Amino acid sequence: MKRGWITWDKAELPPSAFEARLEVVRKQLDVQGLPALVVYTDVWRSNQGRYLANFMPYWNRALLVVPREGASVLLCGLSPRVYPWIRSVTILDEIRPSQNIAQQLTALCTERGWTKIGVLDLPLLPSDLAIPNSVDVPWSAIHPEPDYAELAMYRRAAQIAREILEAELPNAAGLVDHELVARLELKYRRAGVEDLVILTTNGATPPLPPAGSTLTPTCAVSVAMEYRGHWVKIVRSGYAVSTQAEKTELLSGPYPYEHCTQADLPAGAIFAMMSRSSGDTYRQTAHGPELL
Amino acid sequence: MLSINANRRSQLTELMSEHGWDLLVLYGHTWRKDYFRALVNFNFSGTHAAAVMDRSGEVRVITSDPWDAEALGVPYTPDFAAALPSRGKVAVAGKEIMQSRFTGAEQASATYAVEELRRVKTADELALIRQAAELSDRGYQHFAQSAEPGMTEYELVAETEAFLKRHGAEDNFMLIASGGTEVVGMKPPTERKLQPGDSVTTELTPQIDGYWAQICRTLVIGEPNAAQQEAYGIFAEARQAAQDSLKPGVNIADVAKATNDVFRKYGYGEYTGSKYTRVRGHNLGLHPDENPYVLEDVNYTVKEGMVVICHPNTYLPLSGYMVFGDTLLVTADGCASLNTTERKLFSK
Repeated sequence: MKRGWITWDKAELPPSAFEARLEVVRKQLDVQGLPALVVYTDVWRSNQGRYLANFMPYWNRALLVVPREGASVLLCGLSPRVYPWIRSVTILDEIRPSQNIAQQLTALCTERGWTKIGVLDLPLLPSDLAIPNSVDVPWSAIHPEPDYAELAMYRRAAQIAREILEAELPNAAGLVDHELVARLELKYRRAGVEDLVILTTNGATPPLPPAGSTLTPTCAVSVAMEYRGHWVKIVRSGYAVSTQAEKTELLSGPYPYEHCTQADLPAGAIFAMMSRSSGDTYRQTAHGPELL
Repeated sequence: MLSINANRRSQLTELMSEHGWDLLVLYGHTWRKDYFRALVNFNFSGTHAAAVMDRSGEVRVITSDPWDAEALGVPYTPDFAAALPSRGKVAVAGKEIMQSRFTGAEQASATYAVEELRRVKTADELALIRQAAELSDRGYQHFAQSAEPGMTEYELVAETEAFLKRHGAEDNFMLIASGGTEVVGMKPPTERKLQPGDSVTTELTPQIDGYWAQICRTLVIGEPNAAQQEAYGIFAEARQAAQDSLKPGVNIADVAKATNDVFRKYGYGEYTGSKYTRVRGHNLGLHPDENPYVLEDVNYTVKEGMVVICHPNTYLPLSGYMVFGDTLLVTADGCASLNTTERKLFSK
């Protein structure tokens, strides 16, 4: 769960990165003739809201509204008591308490005279959120490929993932899987990791959540981790690695966003390519996968 | 291999018969696995999973991840949407959280009906919640022992998360805050360093084999001052009032009222509203924040076998935000705490 340190280091991720991203959104709204874009966000699907505002709902859900003109507005299920904290780690200033986010969106649309709005990845909205007069704006339209700042964050995340797992794995043999997971948890969380899912296997099964098994020298460990909104996934093993990828996943959280075929990935896509004994996070380029 | 909750299967087939549903889908995604795990207790690693049960109780599992399918011994269907049932009278538990591309108006929602069944725990489920409560007690001891002046909130959370994972927690829901009267609520950890005199509040919620239990306590770094002690006295009385009133047949609104009346008695009634606090407790089970909430405007008749945390957590100008609460099992004539941690204002 998202129990780690959520922060915004402006030297690492400058405000100008968000300004450039919002400019792309505004241009797309112009193209589609829309007055605003609505971005759904919850504990699981937090990455798109994070990308545009650095907002992550550690609990509950929210709608980020990006108008074509003016500042973004957050319709937020979290208590106003945490709004000062939200303002301290995001680009947001206007936050409206919203026990019912759909109702609050309707009220905002009425207030601003919007009769039609864009919704980011409309078919992926939870079915209880009916947004009338909405138009789909696909993610690819506002995020053709990762920008410089985003790539730097992914590289940092991948570095943290590798360094900690590769340091701990040689000591894994003979440990109960829960113990190895605890050691990794401590190191990753201390390194500023927000969310973390660790799976292990001794080879007979795919990597699974720990279940009290004693790890053998040939065990494999899968780590999915989120560093300041950027997910990476790696697999390492004590035995000779398989080079045959068993699955390729577009990353959007601890778990795959979608399974995909590597050949079909658009340039710039961030993805994990894994077997049960090895795996890393890559960026798709015109020349093939680039290890992050 | 598929591990089916036999008691739930039996209840769900009766539910299907009662409503005339041909198929019942129990859907889960990464955040909300609870509907799925109510029938098939498997901690899936992929994005989506669904258990599809027919009227005979036959269960078919669909997962969006090939490794989940392999671990469960079920066929992997790459197109999750296409594998969902589309013919017959279909009801979905978790329909509201399902992405709209997976569901349509023709499917009924079984969410409330399934949640209502889940509120009363089976013996096996209770055993797991007891284990989770026992781990929350040990986790709190570790939390209190680890907290030191100069330590950041996120380092303390790292220590606690590692302890809980070491002792078998599948996951943990945890919020934290530290400081004095300026603290108005809990949130994820920050880089703030603990200081002498701080109130350090936390709710720990470890998960064992799918099931969550929670404990809330407040720790003072150093000797509690008079205001912190006075505040604690009010919280302790409110927590006890909630526990004394929780029993089968009562309206859960009355449990909230009993809690809030203690604050009113001391002149702090305004701090029982949504400006300063969220809920006075909630149900626990396969989700750490289940309905019904303990609130004065929620009407629900409490049943034996429910598991509820009552926590009068709120802000008081005396002390800042404070938290106290135990996981309570509703028994035949009252309730029993599943936590053994001492009910006191901790200090070190």
